[in-house]
Amino acid sequence: MPADPSKIKFLVVDDFSTMRRIVRNLLKELGFTNVDEAEDGVVALAKLQGGGFDFVVSDWNMPNMDGLTLLQTVRSDPTLKNLPFLMITAEAKKENIIAAAQAGASGYIVKPFTAATLNEKMVKIFEKVGL
Amino acid sequence: MSDFQGMEDLLQDFLVEATDLLSDVDNKLVDLEKSPGDKGLLNDIFRGFHTIKGGAGFLNATELVTLCHLTENLFDRLRNGEIAITADVMDSIMDATGTVRDMFGSLEQGMQPGPASPQLLDNLRAAIAGQVSAAPPAVAAAPAPAAVAPAPATAGGPDWDALHGAVASEAMTITAAPTTPEVMHTDVEGKSPEQIIQQAIGRRATDKPGAPSSGGRREVEKGGGGASRSGGGDNSIRVDTTRLDQVLNLSGEIGLTKNRLNSLRSDILNGRNDSDTLHALDQAVSQLDLLVSDLQNAVMKTRMQPIGRLFQKYPRIARDLARNLGKDVELVLVGEETEIDKTMIEDLSDPIIHLIRNAVDHGIEPTADRIAAGKSPKSEVRLEARQEGDHILLLISDDGRGMNPEKLRAKAVEKGLITDEEANVMDERQSYNLVFLPGFSTKDAITDVSGRGVGMDVVKTNIQKLNGSIETKSALGKGTTFIISLPLTLAILPVLLVQLDQQPFAVPLSMVREILPIDVAEVQEVGGRATMVVRGEVMPIYPLNYMLGWASERTPGYGVLMQTAEHTFILAIDGFMGREDAVIKSLEDFRPKGVAGVTTLSNGQIVLILDIKELLSALGDGRGVPRSIFQAAIGAAA
Repeated sequence: MPADPSKIKFLVVDDFSTMRRIVRNLLKELGFTNVDEAEDGVVALAKLQGGGFDFVVSDWNMPNMDGLTLLQTVRSDPTLKNLPFLMITAEAKKENIIAAAQAGASGYIVKPFTAATLNEKMVKIFEKVGL
Repeated sequence: MSDFQGMEDLLQDFLVEATDLLSDVDNKLVDLEKSPGDKGLLNDIFRGFHTIKGGAGFLNATELVTLCHLTENLFDRLRNGEIAITADVMDSIMDATGTVRDMFGSLEQGMQPGPASPQLLDNLRAAIAGQVSAAPPAVAAAPAPAAVAPAPATAGGPDWDALHGAVASEAMTITAAPTTPEVMHTDVEGKSPEQIIQQAIGRRATDKPGAPSSGGRREVEKGGGGASRSGGGDNSIRVDTTRLDQVLNLSGEIGLTKNRLNSLRSDILNGRNDSDTLHALDQAVSQLDLLVSDLQNAVMKTRMQPIGRLFQKYPRIARDLARNLGKDVELVLVGEETEIDKTMIEDLSDPIIHLIRNAVDHGIEPTADRIAAGKSPKSEVRLEARQEGDHILLLISDDGRGMNPEKLRAKAVEKGLITDEEANVMDERQSYNLVFLPGFSTKDAITDVSGRGVGMDVVKTNIQKLNGSIETKSALGKGTTFIISLPLTLAILPVLLVQLDQQPFAVPLSMVREILPIDVAEVQEVGGRATMVVRGEVMPIYPLNYMLGWASERTPGYGVLMQTAEHTFILAIDGFMGREDAVIKSLEDFRPKGVAGVTTLSNGQIVLILDIKELLSALGDGRGVPRSIFQAAIGAAA
């Protein structure tokens, strides 16, 4: 776990604002207070390309650009390709997991989840990327 | 959910957002009936249910999750072209959205919704299974829960365990990869592939919605939440952040200007009154003036919402009603982006529902009659909003049979609402407005409004409460239009300042049609009341001083032609000062008859805002002013 969680800047991507708030609250519980939001992949990509983000938590199913496309775009962008990317979805179908994994997701979490579950996933990602 | 903070707020947010989403789904369903193959629509509806399901999961609303999940799966199949939309399927879907809405209702009460009717769930499963039966026997033979989650397209494809291994080796953060036997075992027990994957990716049992530990917790939260919310209702509002930023910006600017004024004040108190200082003061005050009015506008804007939010739910209502009545009606929405004060949106909901029902039920003739009259069997009801000046106009029109003024008058006389004499002098417009009389449209109350107790008279009363007015236009055989005119906001009332002696009074500008000079010689007596002829129309004159019970020796110099829903009359006054946007302050505990509130003029003077309708009813509603009393006011100068 990073020494100062508030230093890590998150981007929470979801078209449902209630869900963004839920994720934001859960992150806050874990001490991650530096959070920005985007309502779909297009907005998220613009924000990410603006720089400064350390971690993306994104929904899968969104209008305009879905989470998977966002992930693929992020991974193909030389400046963003190493960004930790946690995929959130209500689906837990195996083809979804595989698609997310193949696109390079750092982790995958199924709704609904608790702060503890989220933490578990994030610790693993942090270990891997050495944050 | 155990470590979840602010559950009530979350619930509120969820309901606001999910209700919008559901209305949108409802509208798309109406569109879908017209073009059943539209992939875009199917996708959008799928996503709607999917999103609601996701949010409901966090609220532990298990039954809502189940229902949304089934419906979502149905749409998944529909959008993949695996099954076709039949009338039965459509009915189940409509039933499902209705039930979702009911469940929102329970949530609003702070209660977990109960399960959907088994019949609905069975219907949905059957609809989904329409495809399943064509799938490999292993899947088709699985018990109901297996049918809940659509069988993955790759059911007979790659080996599950191998895939799982592949996933895990792709460096996913999967905590526990179950062994093959486990998977096989659970599958046999009828668990869906989804549940298996959830286990596979390490969701703990306690996370599951409805698990005993979190379920118990929910009960406690429910009690607290329900109590704290009970008084609140839906008091939240969604505001575009750019609008809030503007408010913030302006408050900051005002703060700066205040600082400037503070420093100028101390300068002046210290004796500096050279022209530079005074000029700076003048500038600062002008700037403050500008900023404050900008701030007022900006704050007002935060209350403005597109009326489309309100319109959204009507196509479904119109569709359902038309279907029940065996009519083919399309509700056309125009001007959904028109913005209107949020409180008004809520209060308009029922009146518009009534007008739409009225149009579909009574306005639109039965299909056979339409064909006989040479009209298209498909009828159109239009709901239109637009801004005109400082008013919002709402038009509800149909292309139905129209109203017959003669029949309306006859019916009103028959019901004893008006006398024969009154009926004889009524013009068309007045006749159409008879439908707003209490007791006129009794048929409505029985047939179409299903126990709501809303008649056209209530529609009118509700519109008037919003300082609005409603009018009717109709052409026999062509259709009827109801026109609702509303002020932009309730907080600010444009008024006309009139004078009696030197005392100003404010009257709502919405009632004012024109101002005309009164020539005492032109005042005539008709039917025992003082009247004046304006462009061939005979109008009663009510002197304001008489209405207020003031003695006055002066001759009224002007008349304000005023129009309420029932009456058109001339308010006789001494003079007028012009129009002003009054910020209404209500008189808390003390409310003299005929006074709607007070407002403060720029010079600090307090002005009463008159409640014209109340003053009129005190006079005996349109019966007019006895000539003798009127004479005292005008006659003195004559």
